[in-house]
Amino acid sequence: MIVFKAFLKILNKNKSIIILYTVILVVFGGINMNASDTNTNFVASKPNVMIINNDEKNEITDNFIKYLKDNSKIIKLKNNEDAINDGLFYRDVNFVIYIPKGYGKDFMAGKNPEIEIKTTKDYKASLADMLITRYIQVASTYRDMGNTDTELVKNVNETLAKQGEVTITSKLDTNKLERITFYYNFASYSILACLVYVICLVLSSFKDIKIQKRTIISSTNYKKINRYLLLSNGLFSLILWSLYVILSFILLGNDMFSKQGAIYMLNCFVFTIVATTIAMFIGSIVLNKNAINGIVNVIALGSSFLCGAFVPMQWLPKGVLRVAHILPSYYYISTNEAVKSIETFDKESLKPVCINTLVLLGFALFFVILTNVYSKKKQKIG
Amino acid sequence: MSNIIEVSNLTKSYKELTAVDDLSFEVYEGEILGLLGPNGSGKSTTINCILSLLNFSNGSIKIFGEEMKPDSYGIKEKIGVVFQEVSVFDELTVYENIDYFCGLYVKDKEKRKEYVEDAINLVGLMDFKKFYPKKLSGGLLRRLNIACGIAHKPKLIFLDEPTVAVDPQSRNNILDGIKKLRDEGATIVYTTHYMEEVEILCDRVIILDKGKVLAKGTCDELKELAKIEEKISVEVNKLDNKYVEEIKNLDNVADVSYNGNVLLIVYEKGKNNLSDIMGLLKKENIKYNKIYSERPTLNDVFLELTGKELRD
Repeated sequence: MIVFKAFLKILNKNKSIIILYTVILVVFGGINMNASDTNTNFVASKPNVMIINNDEKNEITDNFIKYLKDNSKIIKLKNNEDAINDGLFYRDVNFVIYIPKGYGKDFMAGKNPEIEIKTTKDYKASLADMLITRYIQVASTYRDMGNTDTELVKNVNETLAKQGEVTITSKLDTNKLERITFYYNFASYSILACLVYVICLVLSSFKDIKIQKRTIISSTNYKKINRYLLLSNGLFSLILWSLYVILSFILLGNDMFSKQGAIYMLNCFVFTIVATTIAMFIGSIVLNKNAINGIVNVIALGSSFLCGAFVPMQWLPKGVLRVAHILPSYYYISTNEAVKSIETFDKESLKPVCINTLVLLGFALFFVILTNVYSKKKQKIG
Repeated sequence: MSNIIEVSNLTKSYKELTAVDDLSFEVYEGEILGLLGPNGSGKSTTINCILSLLNFSNGSIKIFGEEMKPDSYGIKEKIGVVFQEVSVFDELTVYENIDYFCGLYVKDKEKRKEYVEDAINLVGLMDFKKFYPKKLSGGLLRRLNIACGIAHKPKLIFLDEPTVAVDPQSRNNILDGIKKLRDEGATIVYTTHYMEEVEILCDRVIILDKGKVLAKGTCDELKELAKIEEKISVEVNKLDNKYVEEIKNLDNVADVSYNGNVLLIVYEKGKNNLSDIMGLLKKENIKYNKIYSERPTLNDVFLELTGKELRD
């Protein structure tokens, strides 16, 4: 109990660090969450098309022009090359079609007359290109089937009028999950930095060689004191995890009351265990309090940058992600990224989550063994 | 008087260096035993071996009649240690530090509270209870260090150079505290290289050098080992060499030197040396400012035994 009491007092002296990293999480995590608040409504987009028709009046060409008018925005510019080039340069028009003289007649004669075009080569121009190609392909098919002009126009219009029906079955609100992912990804930095900083500071006090000597010669079993320290650190980690989970409920509200929310929390809990074991290991080898700040920067900031806690994983270069595989934060963030696209919770969809969790627990075990081996070597002074 | 500590043939080596060499001694109940020796003589190593903080190559150590081992918690309960280095938590106040270290021995809250207050009073830190160590002067820190080591009222106390780099006021306070602990029944092992402290405090002294016992006994017994009886120093502004030669020929004089303005006369034996020299100075009409006589010190004993000074 006396060890726990001293632990709390030392923790109290370092409370500014806990506050600092919590504020960082709320401020920067909050900024990240707002940045992800994108609009997901779809608006139909029509390309700006200019038609220069040099053909005489006929059913085929007229129907082609009508189709283009229905599916694009027709732009009227002066019919001279300078005006057209300026229109393309300033994106007033995306696609200019030059219908040659005798186009309708030649088409029906099976000559496949060429249509000259000028484009801005952007996505709207591609859209216009797709419209024209589609029309000509359908019309060519009916022509080859021996349709007359009137039959061809009727059949083409009927075919192109048919729209594929799209039903969205997913009820997943990716935008909300994106926000939770940003929060929990960023939390990995705050958890790791806070735990390494605080646990190292506390342990450096208890493991100071002079204090250790005084403790070893006391009538309290040194192993018992170590056990109390371990429990105290574990309790502190649990409290920190609870604090960050409560904060997520405050910041993200009802979005957290979901199956995905539970996985984010559990994943965060497993990561907290790993971060505690890392902190305990570093705390057992680093006794210089002045070095702790630098170590926290290297470990917490370094792994957060490499593993995508600040920048989404998909934006990171492949080389960086390959290196990140050796860091626990990578598996934690991978789980968060996977959770946001899980629609149904079955064996297959939860498989990557389970694998990442096992890897994280493996890391925890590795650091526990490492700490024990190191401590046993250092047990005897002199 | 029963033996509290029995050290037999203790040897501790670091590769080729033998820090403690076949050391044997006893510590009697209720005494203050001084371990005196220069830096590197093996004092701290001996204490660390006794406390099972260090493995030793050979020998045996018994405390309170039982063999001392790292897991002898029953023995450890009755031991208090004040290390040479200040060993306290920077993040805890004076009171909290003493409470923590006392708490490693005393689980009862009320009893501990009483013990902590007693320790604070003993070292005179009543006005600094809520101070953090960083706010304390070197002397006050040493007092806190002592309080942390003795708060649980141990029967056997090891004090490893507790007054190093301490101001005179704190030193007097610490020495008074140690005497008080002895008066309350504690047995104390006191290591130092300050011979004045040993002479003031210790009932018995063991002089160590290079890990070996050079001599042991009470201060008076040890001083008998020095081949001098008395040292007389005279402050003389100007003295001809002929007088130095004349003094050398006086009875019982072993050595005479005149350095600076101080004439130092060392006597092998004799009772009236001071009056003899004063008579000579009067007869020759030699003016002097101060004259004082000294008994041989433990430093003289050490010089006699090793040919070097304690603080060399």
